[in-house]
Parts: sequence; C-alpha cells; structure tokens
Amino acid sequence: MRMMKKVLAGVMGMAMLASLTACGTSTANTDETTAAAGGNDAAETTAAKADETVAPASNEPVTIKISWWGGDSRHEATQNAIDAFMKKNTNITVEPNFGAWSGWEDSMSTAFYAGTAPDVNQVNWNWISNYSADGSIFLDMNKVSDTFDLTQYSQSALDQCTVAGELQAIPVSMTGRIFYWNQTTFENAGISTPTSLEELYAAGETFKTKLGDEYYPLAAGEYDRMILMVYYLESVYGKAWVENGQLNYTTEEIAKGLEFIQSLEDKHVIPTIATILGDGAESLDKNPKWMDGKYAGIFEWDSSASKFNSALNEGQTLIVGDYFKDMGEYQGGFAKVSLAFAISENTAHPTESAMLLQYLLNDPEGTAIMASERGIPLSKAALETCTSQSLLNPMVAEANGKVLDWVTFALDTQFENSKLKGNPDGVYYDVFGGLSYDEYSVEEAAQILADGVTAVLNG
Amino acid sequence: MASKNVNEPSKFKLFCRKNFGFLFILVWLVGFLIFRLYPFISSFVYSFSDFHLFNGIKNWGLMNYQEIFSNKKIMSSLGITFSYAFITVPLKLVFALFIAYILNYKIKGVNFFRTAYYIPSILGGSVAIAVLWKALFRDEGLINAIIRAFGGQGVNWLSDPDYALFIISLLRVWQFGSAMVLFLAALKGVPQDLYEAATIDGASKARQFFSITVPLITPVVFYNLVTQLCQAFQEFNGPYIITQGGPRGATTLFSLLIYNRAFKMNEMGMASAMAWVLFVIVMVLSLIAFLSQKFWVYYGDEK
Repeated sequence: MRMMKKVLAGVMGMAMLASLTACGTSTANTDETTAAAGGNDAAETTAAKADETVAPASNEPVTIKISWWGGDSRHEATQNAIDAFMKKNTNITVEPNFGAWSGWEDSMSTAFYAGTAPDVNQVNWNWISNYSADGSIFLDMNKVSDTFDLTQYSQSALDQCTVAGELQAIPVSMTGRIFYWNQTTFENAGISTPTSLEELYAAGETFKTKLGDEYYPLAAGEYDRMILMVYYLESVYGKAWVENGQLNYTTEEIAKGLEFIQSLEDKHVIPTIATILGDGAESLDKNPKWMDGKYAGIFEWDSSASKFNSALNEGQTLIVGDYFKDMGEYQGGFAKVSLAFAISENTAHPTESAMLLQYLLNDPEGTAIMASERGIPLSKAALETCTSQSLLNPMVAEANGKVLDWVTFALDTQFENSKLKGNPDGVYYDVFGGLSYDEYSVEEAAQILADGVTAVLNG
Repeated sequence: MASKNVNEPSKFKLFCRKNFGFLFILVWLVGFLIFRLYPFISSFVYSFSDFHLFNGIKNWGLMNYQEIFSNKKIMSSLGITFSYAFITVPLKLVFALFIAYILNYKIKGVNFFRTAYYIPSILGGSVAIAVLWKALFRDEGLINAIIRAFGGQGVNWLSDPDYALFIISLLRVWQFGSAMVLFLAALKGVPQDLYEAATIDGASKARQFFSITVPLITPVVFYNLVTQLCQAFQEFNGPYIITQGGPRGATTLFSLLIYNRAFKMNEMGMASAMAWVLFVIVMVLSLIAFLSQKFWVYYGDEK
C-alpha cells in the first residue's frame, strides 16, 4: 500500500510538473510571437517562411478536411462542389465539417489553438489577426501560389488578409450593411419604401397608426444598432470610427449617434430591445414578426440577405433599399471582407488543400456550383463564370453593387472583438441594451462605449 | 538461505499480487488522472496567470482574483447564481417530496405517473426542451395565450429582468424526477408500524408527516440537497439557450461568464480563476451542509 501511495504521489507530482511545463511552453510561444510580430524580425521571419516550399501533390490516396459555417443552401452547394472535386481528383477524399454560425467560432478557436483544425477552413476576416497575428495558425498562401491562382484577386483584396507579412487567407467576397425593406408591408401601410431618414421617421408614425403598435418599419438588435450608429456618425462627421488603432470620435460625438438611435425608438421606427427579446427568437431572420412582415426592414450584410428573404412568409416581397442621402454630408458606412478561406499551417497536405480551394474559388466548374452562396465572388474568374451563366442571386448582386458603390470607410479588425460584440457581456450589448432599458443616459452610454472601445484598442 | 529465496515470491511478484485489483480500475485511473486531476491542477496554476489562448502568458499573480472581486458585473453574476441556487434547490426538493409522497400511495396507474414525472429529468437538460421553454414563454407564446384567454395581460417573461430568472429556475424545478425517485425509495423504507402506532395515538396526517416521515428520510433529503446544490451552481444550458444571459444580465449565471471568458474571449487564466472561485463556493456550502448533519440528519444506525 505504501508503495502504491508512492506511485500515486509520483504521478501527481508529474502531473503538476506537466502543467508547469505547459505554462512554460506557452510563455515561450508568446515570446516568439512577440518577436515575430515586431519590426525587422517579422520581415525576416516572413522572408524565411516565404522561401519555404510545400510538398507537391501526391498520387497516393489523400484525405483532407474542410470546415465552414452557414445556412442550408450554402451547405448543399459546398457539398455538391466537394463531390464534383472528388470525382475529378479520385485520389483525394474531402471530409466536410459544417454547421450554423451560433457557437461556431468558440469551437474553431480552440481547434486552432490545439492544432486540430481541419486542413481548409472558412474563416471570418478578423480571425486572422485574432488567432494568427504571427502567422503561426494559417499557411501563407504565397507558398501554394503554383497551385492556387492568386492573380484572380486584386492586390487590395489580398492585402486585407495579409497579417504579419503573410497572406493567411483568400478573401471570398466583400460585404457591407444596407437597408432591405418588406415592400408588401409598406404597401399595406399605404406608403412607399423610405429613401431618406425623413421618410423613415414618417414611416414609424404611419405604421403605428395604420397597421398597429406591433408593426415597425425597421428592426435592429444591439449589434445592428452599433453598426447603424457608426453609419450615421460617419455620414455626419466624415471620418472612420477607428483610425490608426485609435477611436476617432469624442464622447460628445458618440452621444449624438446614440441620440440618433434613441430617436428611432422614440418615433416607433425600431422596436425596443425588450420587445425583440420578448419575441423569443434566436435571431431576427427566425423572428415570427419578421416572417409575417410586422418588422418590415433590416439593416443587414448584403451577403446575409438571402436567409432573410427566404424566411419571409409567402406573398411578401423583400427589396434592397438605398443609403439615405439626408443622413449627413458624407457617404457613411463601411465594407469588409465577408469571409475568407484559410489553410491550416500544420496541414500535412498543403498542395491538395490549395487544389480544393482553387476548385471552389477559381475553377469554372466549382464556382458555378458555389455561385453567390458566399456573396459576390472577388475572384475575377469566378465572377466571370457566375455572370456569364447568370448564376448570381440578383438581390445579393444588387445589394453588393450598391454597397461597394457607396461606402468609403474601412473597418478596423477590432470592431468585431468578442469583448465588444459578445453577448451578453460585450460592450455593444451593454450600451445599447442599457440605453433601451433606460438604465443609462445618453452621456453615460457614450462614456461606457468610448471607454470599452479604447480599452480593446489598447489591448 | 538459498532454498528460502527459491520458495519465497520476489518483491515484484508480491507487489503485483497485492495491487492486482488496481489493474481492473486502470482505465478509470488513467481517465481520472488525464481528464480530472490534470485539468484540476493546471487550472489552479493558470488561475494565477493572464493566460490567453493566442497571446500566451505575460504576467503571473493574483490579478484575476482581484478583478473577480472588484468587477461589478462579475459580482452581480455571482449574486444571481446564489439567487438561482437558493430559489431552485428548496423549490425542487419540496416539489419532489410532495409528488413522491402522493405517488407513494397505492393509486391506480401509479407506475405510469411515476414514469411520467421522471421523464422531465431525462429531457430537462436537453437543448430541445430549452428551445421549447423559450417558445412557451415568449410574448406571443402559449403561457401568455392562456393568461390572455382568462382576461389577463401577457407578461414579458423573457425580456423583463424581474421575471427572466424565474423562467430559468422553473425549468430546473421542473426536472424534479431524479430527486423524486430517491424520495420515493426513502418513503418506502419508512416502517408502517410507526404510522399505525401514531394513528392509534390520534396523530393527524400532517403530524405523522412532520414527526415520522421527514425525520426518517433526512439522509435522502441531505443527499438531494448536496447534489442539487452542486448542480444548481453549475447550471449552464438553460440560460445559455433561453436568454443568453439577458435581459440586462439578469440570467447571467457564473458558469455562463466562465464559458464566455474561456471560449469567446479565450482568457483561460481568468476563466480558470472564476472556475476556482465557483469550486470554493460549492465546497464551502457542501462543507456547511455536512457539518450541519449532526443537527438535523437522522441515521438509523446512530445510538
């Protein structure tokens, strides 16, 4: 028994030692990260990495994995494209892993850290800087440029996915927020869809009196309100929300933006946060009031419009709106990379992974199957294929065209930081929830928002 | 001397013979060491660091614990978790005992009712039930429809901070089946002659319940109390799916904050510290319950 105790004590000691060793490793990694991210060292590291070559495609049977999030139509299109790819490349087996967005990032971030992420991953734009600031998680796509045709993309698009001097992902499409209106409900109210802020305010009153208290011309949750406010502020003040890593607005200016959001609630343009929560829906597109037209408008990503359109009950028509010219003197709003594809740095099959991406994003056959399921393609070849074969979703194409024609501001990668965007304890949720529930005054909310954003920007 | 060495088994053989039993629990032992003990120790170590999954560790110290006890939101969440536990545990125990008491009578179809009441315990923690719960209590849901049918006004169950915690608690109380089964077994073990003697002495049913039934089932009450308390402090599914911690943080239980810190913000050091605070709270409450046993728990073998 005494012997057993000794054995157990030994094992426990080793476990503790192992945990300390693990900490030591993390620290070492951090040091390397810091070094790699800084100045000349980063450039040298990048140069060294870029010189590395990857193994050529194998003729032996190879299995690669791919992950993505999305809705049913995206799942179906991507699976069809993968099947077609496997028919063309009989030695490559592709195992898909897909699901809905909810909780997706939580599981992927731990997979990236643990090195267990699939070979090819659909990634959000800010994941690159959040998870691979030193280029250790995602492969530099320049290394597989013999297989993946980078010339199909503009340099400015590729630059958006270049972090630590490495092209860590391929941007699939650009997206921005724009208004969508349920034309049927507006017709029922006897008015046309709004083309200006003044008309939107007037629609609030008309909806209330003609259709009833439950009808609103626009619906916006906490995060939607934040984006709408930034659009308003940029329209009024003509400057980006964040510039050079610094918040570009004073608390007084932010207070003006918050007053604008509150004015929408006060004038029955948008429902209160309590009303939306009371609807008990996971998201606006799953909200019964959206489906039956009681909420008759959204300010949404152009790449997400399809799911809102398909959620509407029969007999209702969704149309793309216009930006409001009376919002301010400037063209506010921003565009960002909607999503991208990245290859894991630790993949055993970088060339085969690049072949798959080439098929999905550039190849005429693959892109015809994928069409505009991930927005309007940035790849010139894919766009050419989809346009010539009329494969683009007309609504997505119209909205995307309007967004890219209008917006002039860029988005800082920290805008979607979990500390800001997280529900329920993110700063955006706190500020807009508190304002709507009358827990904060406009001044208090402006201060909390400014402090929260500044804290995140300062790391 | 030489023959003694030949006949006597070696020390290694003796050791093997003595500890042969451990071979049978080896799988469990390895699982325990890797999946329980190692995370237990490593989370304690990490709790003194600012370990971030993608930024590594830059500082060591007590900063996480300092933040926990100085951050208003975290302390508020802790308060909400206490409220949740102190609402659900007593309600669940009382309700489970009440139903068990009824189902202890010889009534027709009692086995069906026992099964029916046990089912929520199996289903209650599932995502589907949480989604259903949300649908029941939304503004246009079934509960408000019933209230309106009787001429009342609908209640904002999910969006009013005063009611939201109640809805989450109700889901927990509804899963009283496992506690009920234990109470039922305990009630079966109460000797009938005690009731007969009490009836002859003229004791009412209520008096019999409080003077005979309750004292004799206190060991099961104690067991249920401790297990339910531990589970209540770890509740996650309900608030995560039904309210996402809202409205205005009214249902942000501590476990939800731990999850957010760990898997949304990747702040593993902070999440570890919060998990340890939760562990200490549950341990202290369990300890209090154990120490209080001698004052209210009756074991049949006690002199």
